[in-house]
Amino acid sequence: MSLLGAHTPTAVPGARFMDPVVLARIGNLELVSRAVCDGFINGLHKAPYFGASVDFAEHRGYVPGDDVRRMDWRVWARTDRYYIKEYEAETNMNFTVLLDVSKSMDYGSRGITKLDYARILTACLTNLVHQQRDRVGFVAFDSEIVEHVPPSAKHMDTVLHVLERLKAGRPGGSMRKPLHKVAEHFGRRGVLVVISDFYEDPEAIVEAVSPLRFRGNDLVVFHVLDPAELTFGFSDAQAFEDLESGDQMPVVPDAMRKEYVSLVNAHVEALQRRFSEVRVDYTLLNTSMPLDHALYKYLAGRGKRTRLR
Amino acid sequence: MSFLAPLFFVALAALAIPVLIHLIQREKKQVIRFPSLMFVQRVPYKSIQRRRVHNWLLLFVRLAALALIVLAFARPFFAGQDLGGGAGSGAREVVILLDQSYSIGYADRWERAQAAASEAIDGLGQADRGSVVLFSSGAEIALRSAAAGERERLQAAVAVAAPTAGATRFAPALKVAGGILADSALPRREVILISDFQRGGWRGEEGTSLPDGSTVTPVLIAGGAEAPNAGVTAVSLARSTFSNQERVAVSAVVVNRGTEALVGGQLALEIDGRSIQTEDFDVEAGSSESVTFAPVTIAGRFMRGSVRATPDALDADNAFNFVVSPAEPVRVVVVDRGGTGSAALYLTRALAIGETPRFETTVRQPDGLSDEDLRQASVVVLNDVAVPAALGRRLARFVEAGGGLLVALGPRAAWPQGVDILPAALEQRVDRTRGEAARIGALEYGHTVFEPFRAPRSGDFSAARIYGYRAVEPEASAQVLARFDAGAPALLERQVGAGRVLLWTSTLDLSWSDMPLKPVFLPFVHRAARHLSGYSEPLPWSMVGQVLDASFGEATLPMGSAVVVTPSGRQVSLDEEGSDVLELTEGGFYELRAGTSESVAAVVASNVDSGESDLTAMDPKEIVAAATSGTGTDARSNSAGLPPLPEAQEQAQRLWWYLLCLGIALLGADTLISNRMSKI
Repeated sequence: MSLLGAHTPTAVPGARFMDPVVLARIGNLELVSRAVCDGFINGLHKAPYFGASVDFAEHRGYVPGDDVRRMDWRVWARTDRYYIKEYEAETNMNFTVLLDVSKSMDYGSRGITKLDYARILTACLTNLVHQQRDRVGFVAFDSEIVEHVPPSAKHMDTVLHVLERLKAGRPGGSMRKPLHKVAEHFGRRGVLVVISDFYEDPEAIVEAVSPLRFRGNDLVVFHVLDPAELTFGFSDAQAFEDLESGDQMPVVPDAMRKEYVSLVNAHVEALQRRFSEVRVDYTLLNTSMPLDHALYKYLAGRGKRTRLR
Repeated sequence: MSFLAPLFFVALAALAIPVLIHLIQREKKQVIRFPSLMFVQRVPYKSIQRRRVHNWLLLFVRLAALALIVLAFARPFFAGQDLGGGAGSGAREVVILLDQSYSIGYADRWERAQAAASEAIDGLGQADRGSVVLFSSGAEIALRSAAAGERERLQAAVAVAAPTAGATRFAPALKVAGGILADSALPRREVILISDFQRGGWRGEEGTSLPDGSTVTPVLIAGGAEAPNAGVTAVSLARSTFSNQERVAVSAVVVNRGTEALVGGQLALEIDGRSIQTEDFDVEAGSSESVTFAPVTIAGRFMRGSVRATPDALDADNAFNFVVSPAEPVRVVVVDRGGTGSAALYLTRALAIGETPRFETTVRQPDGLSDEDLRQASVVVLNDVAVPAALGRRLARFVEAGGGLLVALGPRAAWPQGVDILPAALEQRVDRTRGEAARIGALEYGHTVFEPFRAPRSGDFSAARIYGYRAVEPEASAQVLARFDAGAPALLERQVGAGRVLLWTSTLDLSWSDMPLKPVFLPFVHRAARHLSGYSEPLPWSMVGQVLDASFGEATLPMGSAVVVTPSGRQVSLDEEGSDVLELTEGGFYELRAGTSESVAAVVASNVDSGESDLTAMDPKEIVAAATSGTGTDARSNSAGLPPLPEAQEQAQRLWWYLLCLGIALLGADTLISNRMSKI
């Protein structure tokens, strides 16, 4: 915590408070992600997460087939047993963002839609990771898999390009099917980031997301919501149309705001609780908040967990 | 309040439109798209209210505008009240036009027409004034502007009226009605037109119009017994001569204008009141049949003939009358020099041919022409003779009295000085024997003499070669009818007194021309003689409605002493009538007698208009629309004697106009209000 507090980014004046709406107007994702990340990296260069990728982790017994070059000869000299040295991480990891592009993401009450916000966030994270020479990949899904860019060190531009032309087209159903399908393709350990508005039952969400953690993947979840979804700040009685289903119903916001907000809060809390139970990092993002705030929030959580280990 | 077109209230369903706009359309326009209603749907339903109207003022304005417009289309009026003044209230001047053409005698139509007129008279109020006008081809005021105390006289005028032989003509009746209404000081003016409305009675171009504010109520008298209605519409007379007796063959055309075929009908030919011959005939509905009778010898002057069909539902058109007299010859005196090789040979031979008219030719030498000859002759032909002064003066008197004179010039022709009746002064001969002969180049085809030669290939005058003619100097009052190719006059005409003089500048024999050998010679001589005699074929019949003037039939009696006996036996002295004309009003035979004597000077057959027997009715609205075409006039379409019709009341009040204006004003207000609200 103190680390975070001590390293508030200041290298690029104003970047901290850069409004996502302003960023959305720039349009070029590469430019946006670089603008956000440059300031971010400069401010965070002493963070323990970085530069620790090849640290020694442990010894294990030699089994036939292991590479003899990785045998620890000094241990053999002391104990006359064969041990193999294992390291903390691979030299570069797979980093994949799974982005929900269902129609409900195409909503924004204050100039930027949730999808745009998520795109910028994806671009920023991808850019951040790419600068560490890690492999970046991308998956867009609604009720099916819409786009799939396999992780690769050379796929940064592809990811940005795919992000650029993403559109929220179809209504999203259950995310169980696409996420389970994606989980089968991640054969190598890596970091998976899921970005969605999670309009589904918390149990179903956790059940859909859990397989992504198999094979040692590190899973981070961003819950993106618009301020209007959180506060329901409508006044006139109007007809509301569900972006997903197209259903309409008359709504008197004043009469039902209280119940609505409490239901949303309960949903967020349930998600928070269930994700923490399955050791998944959950972060609620409000699209009115600056992007770097989201990054900090995420990285702070990562930092804590890293130190705990 | 009553409504002229209450069906328009169905349009009030349109009032739902603004309500729906307010409740549905406005909400739809502001639908909020929300990512997911997952949580909204979980909120209990009790908190969701029904839609409600947002702007009561706008809704009210729109509803009121629509309702007013619908109300305007329904044409409201206050029944029995007077809002517009003028035609809506006060005493009435009512003119009852009663059709008494002969077609109204069909079946029971006349009785029904009388009943309708009587009902209209009964419907007159205490302050109203009524007139009865009887009309057929003309109109006659039976009683004018009768006040309340004279109702009996009005009824009597209707009761004594009877169908006439005239045809239906609406224009004179409407003009008479217009005159009565125009003179009236009463505020309401109405015309009740009782008729069978035959199509033939109205051509649509009469231009009759009633005074402003007048109303016309047509009462259609139609229907009745459906029966065959045969009528004799035409007769043709074919004259022939058989063993020196003139005969005439009569053919009649029978038309059945009824709705049923006529089987076993009989057509009788009557001569001087006696039935001579009867023929059977069958005729389908809407078709005609021709019947020819055996020739009848023309016994004497003014032989009266009638073709009479079997009596049917309409009797007036069953008889067709005609008068036949022996053909009167045109007497022509040819004055020739006489001797051998008479120059009048071609002329007399040409005049001896022909039946209509027949020419009776007498040849005289100049010194043998007696006064008796001149008295009997219609035409005198001077064929290349030198006329002594005495003869010239007698001829001048003859022409001034109406006779015709044809002068053919030749080498011997001479005219005495001091007798000025010739169209031109005679000069020297022009010799065309050398070189090319003269030809007739220009003809005045518009003149009666040359009119039959007008059409192409109807006679070639230029074929005749003229070797010599007399140069003439035309008088100022003369007309040149034909010229030679060099421009010199060939034929000239001059009107002298009541007669005419024709001057042919060449000969009518072969001495100076070969014209008598050409085909045009005979028709030319006939036309010239007929023109000079003033001959006109006597008409075998006239139509009811025609006017006879001084040339009554073929008689030339002084009208002051003439008495006409009508078919009904009434004697009319022409000088008593105050005019020297007589209108034919009955079908039958009119006799003209000289004073009190029994001798008949002329007979004229009178027939009804056969077009009237076609009972096809027209739409009375056509007449009503034409008669009330001026502003402020109006039409009514039911029986008479009732209070003003709803149409008249509505027209007088014109409430729809105000309602429509108010509705449109409200729509404008609606636009303003909604614009202002959208700005807010």
